[in-house]
Amino acid sequence: MRLRTLITKEFLDLSRNRAALLPVVLVTIMSLVLPFGIAILVPALTGRGLGEDADLVKVSGVAGIHYDLSADARVQLFLFQQFLMLFLLTPITGAMALAAHAIVGEKQARTLEPLLATPMTTYELLTAKVIGALAPTLAISLAGLVIYFGGILLFAAPGVAASMASARTFALILLVAPAAALVSLQAAILISSRVNDARTAQQFGVLIILPLTGILVAQFTGTIWLSAWTLAILGLGLFALWILLTVLSVALFERESILTRWR
Amino acid sequence: MITASALSRRFGVRTVVKDVTFEVGRGEIVALLGPNGAGKTTTMRMLAGLIAPTSGSVAIEGVQLTRATGSALRSRIGFLTESPGLWDRLTVRENLNIYAGLYGLANAERTIERALETFELRGRGDERTAELSKGTRQKVALARALLHDPIVMLLDEPTSGLDPEVTRSVRQLLEEKRAAGCAILVSTHNLDEAERLADRVAVLQERLLAIDRPQALRQRLTTGRLIVRVSGDPSRYLEAARRSAQGVEVAVDGVALAVRLPDPEQQTPMLVAALVAAGAPIQEVRVEIPALEDVYLHLTQNEQ
Repeated sequence: MRLRTLITKEFLDLSRNRAALLPVVLVTIMSLVLPFGIAILVPALTGRGLGEDADLVKVSGVAGIHYDLSADARVQLFLFQQFLMLFLLTPITGAMALAAHAIVGEKQARTLEPLLATPMTTYELLTAKVIGALAPTLAISLAGLVIYFGGILLFAAPGVAASMASARTFALILLVAPAAALVSLQAAILISSRVNDARTAQQFGVLIILPLTGILVAQFTGTIWLSAWTLAILGLGLFALWILLTVLSVALFERESILTRWR
Repeated sequence: MITASALSRRFGVRTVVKDVTFEVGRGEIVALLGPNGAGKTTTMRMLAGLIAPTSGSVAIEGVQLTRATGSALRSRIGFLTESPGLWDRLTVRENLNIYAGLYGLANAERTIERALETFELRGRGDERTAELSKGTRQKVALARALLHDPIVMLLDEPTSGLDPEVTRSVRQLLEEKRAAGCAILVSTHNLDEAERLADRVAVLQERLLAIDRPQALRQRLTTGRLIVRVSGDPSRYLEAARRSAQGVEVAVDGVALAVRLPDPEQQTPMLVAALVAAGAPIQEVRVEIPALEDVYLHLTQNEQ
């Protein structure tokens, strides 16, 4: 009941401050423009198909051999699969601003003390903050995802859309993306409750994204390729990490310090 | 109902509250006075369970305030913080509605409407709190603190920023709550308010300097001076007064004679008789009792 109330407050507050979601929307749009620009627009403008680039064809081999697809389609499939990961993870960087501001923002607005004087528990407060940042981010990502797959269906070479519907894609969408979002936002909330300035929290928060970006870059260069199973395990590992971070956030949340030492 | 036992709180090496013991009973209002930085807010926060004392304990209705009992006890406490702390982007009604949910109120809508009416906020429920004046924000904060009908109230400067009319209605409300059996602790800088409202006044400056009824506090600091106001020039009756009360200090204080009597009860009738015999047209005879402000300043300045 109290958790639901707190989440309602977060949504109400955000609905009156839609500009706070602008970074998430912009990052989503950019993540949409980039893959279609590279995989569809540039080849169309230059008249040179992606399949003509021997290096790209070679790198795309890590995504598995698709004999039924043309060379162009194979490279497109590789690119769209790679960008899917980027597309699912980058909106989190935008949501970090929301999460990083969560506790320190309440303190600065002096709304935290009356809130802490209620029977509400620390767990309820922190969970509401995570969900408050996560839900709109996932909603925007989902809308972007519909456009992403719609675009592939409309503009990509024949067979690419069908090949995208794989276990790997589902593992990415249903496990890795939400779990990575939960981990990042929970970590940002934890940091937000330990520092006394929103900017510091945000800067620390962005650091959390770095390991994921590393994996992404390694995939693009063909150094590693995360299979559906690897992604599923990664997703579950991230969920476990999120639970650990939640417990840690509650344990490290010091009502006293927040009320008495922060200005 | 509220029991603070030997409460102390240190922040690092600095002691903010030291060995404070007092009680606020059922149906009682206690005003907590003290200069800035005297530890009033820290004491309030300890009583509300927001910060733990370094030593000592707090009990609400006999139940010790601990980490385990904190959540349950907080549902019985109405805490008005120093700053209204409203969510600016939310409306008045939405602010109250969130707190109604946090306190698990069954008839939230009806309770909120009643609170809006009590604090003369009807018609303003749909305004965003960012658009409200300071006084109106304070009213909303008060409505929020009392929304769940708490049995214990801890109010930090409840009438700060309110106009006299609303201040009066807040006082009336607190008197009603007192009559209903609530224990109310009010932190204030307004000595007049403390005197009008409180059953007892506590003066805090790191430690508890005094706690008593306002009248008793004033009497405690009484100078023992008898003020005799006469028509005309009071200096004409100086000699008569000095003859009657030998060896005591007699002086002219404006339009009156001020006589410091060691035993006013015994000596006053004799002094008055002597002055009447000397032809003094006496208009008023009273024992000088200091204002609460004087008591407060005396206590806090002595402490410094």
